[in-house]
Amino acid sequence: MDIGYMIEIFPKLISTLPITLSIILTSAILGLILSIVITALRIKKIKFLSPILEAYISFMRSIPILLLLFIVYYGLPVFFSLLNLDINDLSAIVSAMITLIIFNGAYLSEILRPAYLAIEKGQHEAANSLGYTPFAKFRKIVIPQMAPIALPGLGNAIIYLIHDTSLVFTIGVVDILGKANLILASSYGENKVEVYLTIAIIYWVLCLLSDRFIKLYENHTYLRKIEKRRSFSSKNLLKKQKIEKGNIQSSSD
Amino acid sequence: MFDFKVLLESIIDIATVVPKTLALAIFILLLSLLMGAIIALIQQFKVPLFSQIIKVLQSFLRGTPNVVLLFLMYYALPEILTFFTGILGIEFDANSLNPVITAILTFSISYSVFQSEIIRGSFLSIEKGQIEAAQSLGFSSWQTFRRVIVPQALVEAFPDIINSLMVIIKALSLAYLITVVDILGQAKMVGALSYRYLEAFIGAALIYWLIGILLTFISNRFELKLRRGFH
Repeated sequence: MDIGYMIEIFPKLISTLPITLSIILTSAILGLILSIVITALRIKKIKFLSPILEAYISFMRSIPILLLLFIVYYGLPVFFSLLNLDINDLSAIVSAMITLIIFNGAYLSEILRPAYLAIEKGQHEAANSLGYTPFAKFRKIVIPQMAPIALPGLGNAIIYLIHDTSLVFTIGVVDILGKANLILASSYGENKVEVYLTIAIIYWVLCLLSDRFIKLYENHTYLRKIEKRRSFSSKNLLKKQKIEKGNIQSSSD
Repeated sequence: MFDFKVLLESIIDIATVVPKTLALAIFILLLSLLMGAIIALIQQFKVPLFSQIIKVLQSFLRGTPNVVLLFLMYYALPEILTFFTGILGIEFDANSLNPVITAILTFSISYSVFQSEIIRGSFLSIEKGQIEAAQSLGFSSWQTFRRVIVPQALVEAFPDIINSLMVIIKALSLAYLITVVDILGQAKMVGALSYRYLEAFIGAALIYWLIGILLTFISNRFELKLRRGFH
């Protein structure tokens, strides 16, 4: 173990972090938008579309992301040439992003749909009978109840997305692992263990940070607020009782 | 551009490694369940030192991608093994270590912490009344464990175990990076032989899809059956 070497290569590895982060952010945001559209279409149960969507989701759930990455990377130029569009030099980063977006669209939809279906029918009926517009109902009734159910799943999804992003080096994107291969090539394969241990630590810290971030967001959901209020009021109650007890004791003395 | 005959041929070629992949995945699943059970026991009884180590390990394994872990093990395992065999004084050539063993060990360790959660959850889901009822009927603690707790915990854990089998089969696709030939590795080789990567990859995807559909079917069917059996 050579800790000095690990510290030495750390800046080199961390310099590729912007590429990883941009892939993560793009595919997280666009994937979430895609998954919202897919979830809405699945809930609406359109006649011819819903079997296709079910097939799409079961396909995405059962093939490894690495294989999907290869299919998109090798298949998109073929697909575009069928449409008479000449895009032969699709960059590896773009195909990595497209892969992660279509993968996350399916994966997140599997989180969002149960969260939506968990809302009782009575809530919708009550909102309708009170004259809420569809948008107001969605914003004030549906989202606050979906969030506490969906957020832990979404947090996991972000962790998995970070994990999946580490695979993009296989199609030639120079991310952290791609950089590691370059470093290993220039040092004739010395200190492999140290290089990979450094990468493991970088990913670990990245995941811990995103975990914190999600936890911070979870605290804003209404369930937590109610919990907090309850614990706060029960604490106050206990305090009051203690004071009263003290008063009684002191008066009896 | 896209040839369906080649696709069919490559599906047949790739299908030859499916039994090997499934056997590997099931072996990893069993090993990780065993480790997961040990981890769950340690966590349940809060064994000092071990439970703290497992907490850090859990966080580390959750935070590190499987690829990184696989490479780390691939390069570090021979050194670790040489160190230990050196202490014990056994003759051992670390460079002859089969990458299949590395893959099995890596995935078993990395999924054991997830399995421990499944096992813990399934055992905790059993009501206390069940155990009390068994005791009041005069079951010994081993009988209670075997006849009351395990059957119910198994029903509870079954869908999750099938799901983690699917996850392991998918994760095994990474093993081609350390020269273990599974479905994806075979697809790459078939593609390299005929210069038709796209057909080979789509063939592999269809095979994975079929496995996924079958496993979902088994999970749904047997879960219903198991649940009916105990009520």
